[in-house]
Amino acid sequence: MILDELKAAVMDGDAEQVAVLCRKVLDEHLNPVEAVEQGLIKGIEEIGRLWTEGEMFLPDVMMGADALKVGLEILGAELSKAKAAAGDTDRRGRIVIGTVKGDIHDIGKNIVSAMMTAAGFDVFDIGYDQGVDVFVDKAEQVGAQIIAASALLTTTMDEQKELVEYLKSKGLRSKYKVIIGGGPTTQGWADGVGADGWAETANEAVALCHKLLD
Amino acid sequence: MSKVSLKVLTDEDVRRIHEASMKLLEEVGIEVEYEPAVRILQEAGLKADGRRVFFDPAYVQKKVAEAPHDFTLYARDPRHNVHIGGDDVAFVPGYGAPFMIEAGGTRRLATWDDYLNLLKMAHACEEMDLSGGMLVEPNDLDDHTRYLDVLYAHIRYSTKVLMGSSYGASGARDTVELLAPVFGGKEMLQEKPVVISLINTISPLKLDARQTGALMEYARWKQAVVIAALVMAGSTGPATLAGVLAVQNAEVLAGITLAQTVNPGTPVVYGSASSITDMRTGCVSIANAESALLNAATAQLARFYGVPCRAGGGLTDSKAVDGQAGYESCLMLMSPIASGVNFILHTAGILQYWLCMSYEKFVMDAEIAGMLRRYKRSIDVNDNSLALDVIKHVGPGGHFLTQMHTKQNHKTEMRKPMLSDRQSFEGWAKDRLTTEARATVLWKKLLDSYQDPGLDERLQKQLQTYVESRKKEIVK
Repeated sequence: MILDELKAAVMDGDAEQVAVLCRKVLDEHLNPVEAVEQGLIKGIEEIGRLWTEGEMFLPDVMMGADALKVGLEILGAELSKAKAAAGDTDRRGRIVIGTVKGDIHDIGKNIVSAMMTAAGFDVFDIGYDQGVDVFVDKAEQVGAQIIAASALLTTTMDEQKELVEYLKSKGLRSKYKVIIGGGPTTQGWADGVGADGWAETANEAVALCHKLLD
Repeated sequence: MSKVSLKVLTDEDVRRIHEASMKLLEEVGIEVEYEPAVRILQEAGLKADGRRVFFDPAYVQKKVAEAPHDFTLYARDPRHNVHIGGDDVAFVPGYGAPFMIEAGGTRRLATWDDYLNLLKMAHACEEMDLSGGMLVEPNDLDDHTRYLDVLYAHIRYSTKVLMGSSYGASGARDTVELLAPVFGGKEMLQEKPVVISLINTISPLKLDARQTGALMEYARWKQAVVIAALVMAGSTGPATLAGVLAVQNAEVLAGITLAQTVNPGTPVVYGSASSITDMRTGCVSIANAESALLNAATAQLARFYGVPCRAGGGLTDSKAVDGQAGYESCLMLMSPIASGVNFILHTAGILQYWLCMSYEKFVMDAEIAGMLRRYKRSIDVNDNSLALDVIKHVGPGGHFLTQMHTKQNHKTEMRKPMLSDRQSFEGWAKDRLTTEARATVLWKKLLDSYQDPGLDERLQKQLQTYVESRKKEIVK
């Protein structure tokens, strides 16, 4: 019953309701793994399916992803404990995403971030106007596999190249897959700066991450 | 008032949007990310909390009233002077696209060669009133200094009015420094605006450092600025169009207020590039019924405040010179022209929501602009045009082809198309040329027709020296 409610709350993008339900899971000592996998995740998967069919729109996806995050934060500690006890580790791909230094355009990045979350990745969004060191520090800290950098301006695209160079200078280049995107960027630009991938749209970015982590 | 006057809002609607914007300006305020702007507004008596400036409605209305109703932009060749305001409309080429789309649909980065081609086409094209600004991003030039090459090229290769750099206060200063010797010194500029520049707000409710710096510098020299908001319904603004207009209006009025605070009487244009978000993907969509409504509403708002207006353009979301490009661009030019917009940036060349330029699209849009300029001229009704004498003379069942009245009037009354095909089917079927194929022939012809207007050699040297010395400083 509560599993259906969790799913429905995510689908409604109702973060408050998700919080109420997740606290109930903790208070009543219900199974947190089940709450996540059979409740929250089912909701976000359903949103993803309906979005693909053109039945749901961006606000549904983004608010659903936000609601999912609220739930995962509340259940986080218990979830890890339960998983550790079961000898199960979290195998979801981890992605650090942000908009590069000098660039304050983050709508596209937010959309990609939400779609990645909806696709089941563990997404760490560092916001906008962030230096390459912030990207890399965060990736090191959370153990990410992918670093995704967005730029909307022709004047800030160079930061994407800088990110690749910075990783090289720290001897970390082979540790991460670097993907880039944003209005003026192209596959040619991505190849030129030595990125591992480029995508023009949010769902292409998700497909790219699946491919890179295969 | 032009006879062609489309309205999409009642006077009561305009008043309610105005009041909503005043509430936003006073209660929410505008985030001004440029310290000198915050300071001058505070000195003028406005309250600020950090970078958040709260605009007193009475002050806003007083300052907006100081902006001129209309003004003339002075060109190197006086035949190209442009009147901005009233019933006039100025057509300006596309601006700022990083890509070119070639005939057939290949997309590639724009280059300096493209830039010069488009500049020469803009100069040669009768329908373009200005030579424009950043016609495309010349990706093969250093991105920190390319604005200097661009400014020099416009002065060198065209005698039409150009658009200046909005690359911060220094970009504006360089624009003024390069134009001053061409127009007889900086003092002359104070009397006559010779350049107009695009200042964009950041929606919702922000003015960034770079654009605001340029705005203030241009105001100091009393050079014209278009202050434009680009609110995207559903993402950078509410999903409802009235709310979009309230946000846009607050941003633009804040910009106009700042310009008039720096220098009362600075020529400003109320601008809007507001559009909608594709709610499935988050992509901007710039050509649709909603955006066309926003254009017309923007014209009404600008009239309410008594300033000239910029909106619309040969806009499309299409990636090819195809049917979608044609019908969307026509809608997005028709609506502003019918509603009295005075300055239409992006009139020619744009594909894929401002990201791409196309030579073929340039001439197709110029054709649409020409048709609509004729449309705007409306129908003259007088003794000559009513033509009673000649109708009587021809009588029932006759024809007018051999009447002197016809010979004397048809050329001014009917516009001759440059791109549209009006042949018989058999005539057309010989080559079966599509619009795009005919456009390829036409833009090459237009480029070939370009004649170098020349520029005094001493002046050329002087400007080149300035550009080179500034490049050295910037790259350092």
